[in-house]
Amino acid sequence: MPISGIVVSCRPEEASGVAEKLAGNQGIEVHGVLADGKIVAVIEADTIDAEVDLVKGLQQMEGVISVQLAYHNFEDAAPEGAHPAGF
Amino acid sequence: MGLSRRDFIKACAAAAAFAAAGASVARPEWAEAAEDGITWGKAPCRYCGVGCSVLVGVKGGRIVSTKGDPAGPVNKGLNCIKGYFLSKALYGKDRLTTPLIRKGNRMVEASWDEALDLIAAQYKKAIAEHGPDSVALYGSGQWTIQEGYVASKLMKGGIGTNNLEPNARLCMASAVVAFMNTFGSDEPMGCYDDLDLGDTYVLWGANMAEAHPVLFSRLIDNKLKHPKVKLIDIATRRTRTTKMADEFIAIKPHGDLAALNAIIHVILRDKLYDEAFVAKHVSFKRGKENAPYGLKDKEAFNETPADVKNLSFEEYKALMKPYTPQWAQKVSGIPAAKIEELARVYGDKSRKVNSLWTMGVNQHSRGVWVNNLIYNLHLLTGKICKPGENPLSLTGQPSACGTAREVGTFAHRLPADMVVMNEAHRKKAAGIWGVPAEKIPAKVGLHTVEMFRAIDRGELKCIWIQCTNPFQSLPNLNRVRKAAQSRKAFIVVSDIYPTRSTELADVVLPSASWVEKEGVFGNTERRTQQWFKMVNAPGKSKEDVWQLIEFAKRMGHGALFPYPEKGMHRAIFEEYRKFTLGTGKDLAPYGTYAKVRGLRWPVKANGTETRWRYTEADDEHVAKGEGIKFYKAPNNKVSVWFRPYEPPAEVPDRNYPFWFCTGRLLEHWHTGTMTGRVPELRRAVSQATVELHPEDAKRLGIRNRDQVRITSRRGSIVLTAEIGGRGTPERGSVFTTFFDEKKLVNEICIDAFDPLSKEPDFKKCAVKIQKA
Repeated sequence: MPISGIVVSCRPEEASGVAEKLAGNQGIEVHGVLADGKIVAVIEADTIDAEVDLVKGLQQMEGVISVQLAYHNFEDAAPEGAHPAGF
Repeated sequence: MGLSRRDFIKACAAAAAFAAAGASVARPEWAEAAEDGITWGKAPCRYCGVGCSVLVGVKGGRIVSTKGDPAGPVNKGLNCIKGYFLSKALYGKDRLTTPLIRKGNRMVEASWDEALDLIAAQYKKAIAEHGPDSVALYGSGQWTIQEGYVASKLMKGGIGTNNLEPNARLCMASAVVAFMNTFGSDEPMGCYDDLDLGDTYVLWGANMAEAHPVLFSRLIDNKLKHPKVKLIDIATRRTRTTKMADEFIAIKPHGDLAALNAIIHVILRDKLYDEAFVAKHVSFKRGKENAPYGLKDKEAFNETPADVKNLSFEEYKALMKPYTPQWAQKVSGIPAAKIEELARVYGDKSRKVNSLWTMGVNQHSRGVWVNNLIYNLHLLTGKICKPGENPLSLTGQPSACGTAREVGTFAHRLPADMVVMNEAHRKKAAGIWGVPAEKIPAKVGLHTVEMFRAIDRGELKCIWIQCTNPFQSLPNLNRVRKAAQSRKAFIVVSDIYPTRSTELADVVLPSASWVEKEGVFGNTERRTQQWFKMVNAPGKSKEDVWQLIEFAKRMGHGALFPYPEKGMHRAIFEEYRKFTLGTGKDLAPYGTYAKVRGLRWPVKANGTETRWRYTEADDEHVAKGEGIKFYKAPNNKVSVWFRPYEPPAEVPDRNYPFWFCTGRLLEHWHTGTMTGRVPELRRAVSQATVELHPEDAKRLGIRNRDQVRITSRRGSIVLTAEIGGRGTPERGSVFTTFFDEKKLVNEICIDAFDPLSKEPDFKKCAVKIQKA
């Protein structure tokens, strides 16, 4: 399952409201809300596909300015048609 | 302690995000365990021209993780959503892994020797029968610096033709010409720091939130911290950028040419200019007018020194008199009062004003002129070469600057701002290359549009395409696809996936991509970034540099490339670097780039970078006490050009009543060969849609998701209507993207181009819209 660490930028006055809504989504863990309106969250999903769907949903949310990716681990994601390692 | 590996990884993810968000949260020691066995290397992102730094994690020969690079000054630990697809872009199911040769309608697997021998035989035959100008190489702003350099040396110094072009002709050529004819040197005086330091940002037709999201985030961070910061979005379409702007100003397609002239008119009329700056730094010029649109084959248009008239400031002011705000209101759709207001924004001495633009201005049948007019605003008001106060031309591809522009892989260019038409430049290049000066032809080669038209005319016999997809991305696509289908030329395509171009090739070659090879990219802000190879390319894939040098050997030009197998990339770069030293485009030794997260040229003698060019405060080429010195311009004076209004090549009429505009969305990139390949990305916006204004849609009886037929004089396609989605064009305009390989949107586009830059106008043609 791929895991990513993201930063969601909001207008500072709307950050806590957005964070509450984020936390209500399955696959999203809110780890902190910073004073300048940035929310730190971890996304976990069965596939990268599902991860991206979650992130896209966040981008459409009222109060969200942008969603950016800090860390992405996909070591156990099913390699889609991948060639053998080291080939 | 009962923690699983998943918990470790999640802790790593959170810690990285906290750090990137600027919070000082200590990374738990046990998080290290999650990264056990992963080797990290740095690389610039593969996708756009912003040039974000990425840390790539490799385990067992595969990429297993990526991070925004915390040490990367561009993106400071964060990537945009395209970061999700970076490494997977290399692992698609249908990756090309072996050379293929056409046998009738079939592509048959071949060895490298068979493929390269065949290519060399075809090139030799064409050259023997028709001369070196009957062959060409078409490359890319996604080429590494080494790839572009080897290509240029081979074509110009070896084969002896200037028929070398990058796809950057389609996106950046207008910017290049304007940099050259205004400042005498390509690429910006400012840098991304201006996004953090300024207080006023005027966007000319640029949807930064989607096309340059990391830079837009920097701008928005500045805005949220400083209430004075103002963002003005001037565009033909409401976008995600508009949502964050303080003001949206709707403008008609091609209206920029009128609005900019009227803003200048007001600046002159109300004496909002900086008289001392103008007197010291500016010369006024008038160029060649009544320019054509390139619609006829071989239509020649140039602005030679004999065509340029020098003007006094008074003469220039007199010429600008007719361009009143009232006149511009009619042409641009911007109310006269708003034009007056914009002039006062640019003229406000208490504001640090920046202009930002990209394809809206460049892909324009008068793109050079619009670039010139934006520079005029900054040169008249003296708002240039100062921290937080600059014009910034944004680029689209990761090395459009580094490779296409700095190495000079255009039909008229040589490295470091030199051109083939100049004898001294040819001599310098020949000296470094170790070839006789007469080897490099003075005749400019075929520019991109003409190169592909020459296939149709039967004049170009062989073309090799690397790292780009012209048979999807060219305008008036039907003509060039038909020419290729009727096998009028021998076509070679090197790429990593099957594309709409490989399907037309006689030989397909499998390439290595991104961290499957070593390379250097140069980004929008003059930052040169190096990376090492981290994983092997699949199957028999080989990097483009290797392909070109093996071909060169078969063509009898192997001696031009005497690089050792180990250290080849370093040797190529060091040779290229000789072109840059002492020119104001100075690069650092290769070893330096291996250590740092890029440096912005000119690199100083002490090895540090230059953030702002032409100013004594930062640029070593300007002596203390000189203040600002435009040392690359003739007599150290930059040019303010009088550029009149001239109409677009095609305008909506009774039969074709709508404007048609093409562009890019956040999740898609160019023709989609790397982003469209990734299933997740394809799902996000699974196919090209056409955006309509709700009132236009209602009038035509079109509802959201209806099928809509779009027809121009050149072609017809059916797309799904999108109404009230991510973007809304102004009334009378429709918008679509060009990434979808199943919908060849460019069959609609006109092949009109800017007469000076030869860059096509993908943003404007006339279409009719019907419910399908």
